[in-house]
Amino acid sequence: MLALLTGTEAMANPSLGINEWPALLRMIFWFLAPVVLITVASLLWSWLLRQRVIHRTRQLHRELGERQQAEAALRESEGRFRDVTEAASDWIWEMDENLRFTYLSERFFALTGIAPQHVLGRARWELATVDLTIDPQKWRQHQETLEKRLPFRDFVYRASIGDHVGLDRYLKVSGKPIYDSQGQFIGYRGTGTDITEQVKAETALQESELRLRRIIDLVPHMIFAKDRDGHFLLANRATAVAYGLTVEELVNRSQRVVHEIDEEAQRMLADDRQVIDSGASKMIAEESFTDHTGYARIMQTIKIPFNEPSLNETAVLSVAIDITEQKQAKEEVARMRLYLKNIIDSMPSVLIGVDPWGYITVLNQPAEQACGASWEAAQGRFFGELFPQLESQFEQVRQAIRLGSPIKTPRMTLEDQGELHYADVMVYPLIADSASGAVIRVDDVTARVRIESMMVQTEKMLSVGGLAAGMAHEINNPLGAILQGSQNILRRITPDMPQNRAVAEAIGIDLDRLNCYLEQRRVLHFLEGIREAGARAAKIVADMLSFSRRSESRFTPVDFEDLLETVLRLAASDYDLKKKYDFKRITIQRDYDPTLRIVYCDKTEIEQVILNLLKNAAQAMAEEGSPSPTITLRTRRESLYVLIEVVDNGPGMDEKILKRIFEPFFTTKEVGSGTGLGLSVSYFIVTEQHRGRLSVTSKPGQGACFSIRLPLGREAK
Amino acid sequence: MTHWVLIVDDEEMIRENLKAYLEDEGLRVMAFESVTPALSWLCDGAHHCPVCVMDMRLPDIDGNSAIRILHQLYPDMEFLIHTGSSSYSLPDDLRAMGLDDDCVYQKPLSDMAPLATAIRSLSSRENRS
Repeated sequence: MLALLTGTEAMANPSLGINEWPALLRMIFWFLAPVVLITVASLLWSWLLRQRVIHRTRQLHRELGERQQAEAALRESEGRFRDVTEAASDWIWEMDENLRFTYLSERFFALTGIAPQHVLGRARWELATVDLTIDPQKWRQHQETLEKRLPFRDFVYRASIGDHVGLDRYLKVSGKPIYDSQGQFIGYRGTGTDITEQVKAETALQESELRLRRIIDLVPHMIFAKDRDGHFLLANRATAVAYGLTVEELVNRSQRVVHEIDEEAQRMLADDRQVIDSGASKMIAEESFTDHTGYARIMQTIKIPFNEPSLNETAVLSVAIDITEQKQAKEEVARMRLYLKNIIDSMPSVLIGVDPWGYITVLNQPAEQACGASWEAAQGRFFGELFPQLESQFEQVRQAIRLGSPIKTPRMTLEDQGELHYADVMVYPLIADSASGAVIRVDDVTARVRIESMMVQTEKMLSVGGLAAGMAHEINNPLGAILQGSQNILRRITPDMPQNRAVAEAIGIDLDRLNCYLEQRRVLHFLEGIREAGARAAKIVADMLSFSRRSESRFTPVDFEDLLETVLRLAASDYDLKKKYDFKRITIQRDYDPTLRIVYCDKTEIEQVILNLLKNAAQAMAEEGSPSPTITLRTRRESLYVLIEVVDNGPGMDEKILKRIFEPFFTTKEVGSGTGLGLSVSYFIVTEQHRGRLSVTSKPGQGACFSIRLPLGREAK
Repeated sequence: MTHWVLIVDDEEMIRENLKAYLEDEGLRVMAFESVTPALSWLCDGAHHCPVCVMDMRLPDIDGNSAIRILHQLYPDMEFLIHTGSSSYSLPDDLRAMGLDDDCVYQKPLSDMAPLATAIRSLSSRENRS
């Protein structure tokens, strides 16, 4: 700068003139000129130099900056690399040309827990944590690959850490060979990753699948999935077995091919499609399925829409449970239940099942009839509510349950619509696994009680009959004397007889006047009384004699039509003023079975029975004054019996009378008009002597029908 | 020769009543309380007796046996049985002799007319033969 300024001054000075100052000036000039020149030159030089320095400095500065930048970039890059290696899930490893580890990123330890000193300086297959024996082939290949200096990917091996197997790690490594700038092999560099969790997860998945497979194969029900065309996508062993195949054989085949019954296959396919199309599961309570052996099973099937991951469209998963046995068992139970119900219903006893608190659990049919409520309606109600007369049995119910033994109340008297009934009441405790309770059994023994009393009467009669038979001679002789005596007396006082007149005349008596006397003093009346009393006594003896058992010797083949006609004749002649009926007024209708002629019986006894019935009918109709009294005599041949019916259109009887009609000495007639033995003698003859049956049906105002049944064969006693 | 009706009955009043009734009917009647005197009466040979009314329970010989004896002695004699036993049934050999259930009369007889009729008809049969 100074030089420049100096130069400028030197340039400006020439205006001063050389003329004035020529020499001096020349001298000065010559002196000064080099100085100035040198100065200018030096100034110029120094300026140039300076310029160069500045430039160089600038250059250096620039170079320095660039270098600093590169270094920073390098640092940054290294840092990034480090961060990456350290932050990555994988680790970085390096090997030297002898395939021995020279470097392992920290990540290795963090991931595997293996200290680097156990690894560095060794080859992978020399590591203590590696067990080559697990898969020697794999290791040999790996070693060869490395020795050939080839790159490799995803080599997986197991490293055991510690003794515990569960701590084993699965490592996956990849690497490639590295070369220096001269192309010399200097080792391997690569990455490694710990895939233990992944392997474990995979193993677990496999195990889980295997387990599931085992489970569905163990399940005895059929489990299978099909696509909409009926191809099996999945099937458990039970399914395969049902088709007679293995699981492998069944899967991917169509049901149409493996299922022998087309109808069933089509139906199942239709169901499958319905489920697939609707997307809603379907429960088939019962369907038939014929397995490969031809055995028809009954299945309960649930079909569920099912998305098979490998398949785009929806499939259907089915679970079919074989309910054949269950159904059979159920049917068996139902049948058994019905059977038992029929049995308990068929029992004439009233059966009431109750729980320990007396609430009804079961009623049989007679019980339903007795209380007028159905089993269903009665269930859960207190039994005393429906059977008020049995309410007192509650104590017995509790006691029977407590003691565990039945309690009987014989001959309990019950009243039914004003009628006295007798019932044997039995309370049986029921001790089952789950529930206890009792059954109350009520047997109406009214009939038995009556029959028993009748039997007692019959026995009485039999003994009377026996006595009578023994004494008949003794009784009949005096009766004969009375009857014959009175007949003779009456005959010998009548004026009509010539012998009487002769004797009377001889001794001077007027027979007519005597007769007047006898009339006036009612002697004849008394005589008639003696005769009638004797006759009645004779009848009673005869009736009582009927009660004696007789041998079969009197049984003969009898023409039944003849017998009936004889009886009708006898009945017609039985007209009795005192009994106030006239048999001739009664219309007799005969309804005889033409195939029935000969019946094996005791003729006189059956005559007596039918005569008794005819008289009974005639008397009943006469008492009531029936307008057109009719008796129908009907015979019919039944399979085992001859049926003889005596039907009248008289007043009939109510049930009270019906029940007692055959009782000895039971009579609805006024005292003295009958012995009260007629019908019971008839009953005795038919049931005891002939082993037959005598029954009666009647309703008030609707006449009565007496039915005699005599055995057709010769079984009669 | 007079036709007699023979009655054998141990009950006096029966005997008497039968006799009285039959006599009133114009028959000749001989009555005995047992068989033995009746037999000795018959053995005289003086009395023709075509009909016999026989009781069963008798003090000496029972009625059936008596009929057998009489039948043997007098094959033409007809028998009617008059018994108080309710369980009486005709033995087969008596049936073989021509007796039937119609010949059996059960005591007590409240009306003797049928018996008289039967005796009369039997006597007349005897007369015809």
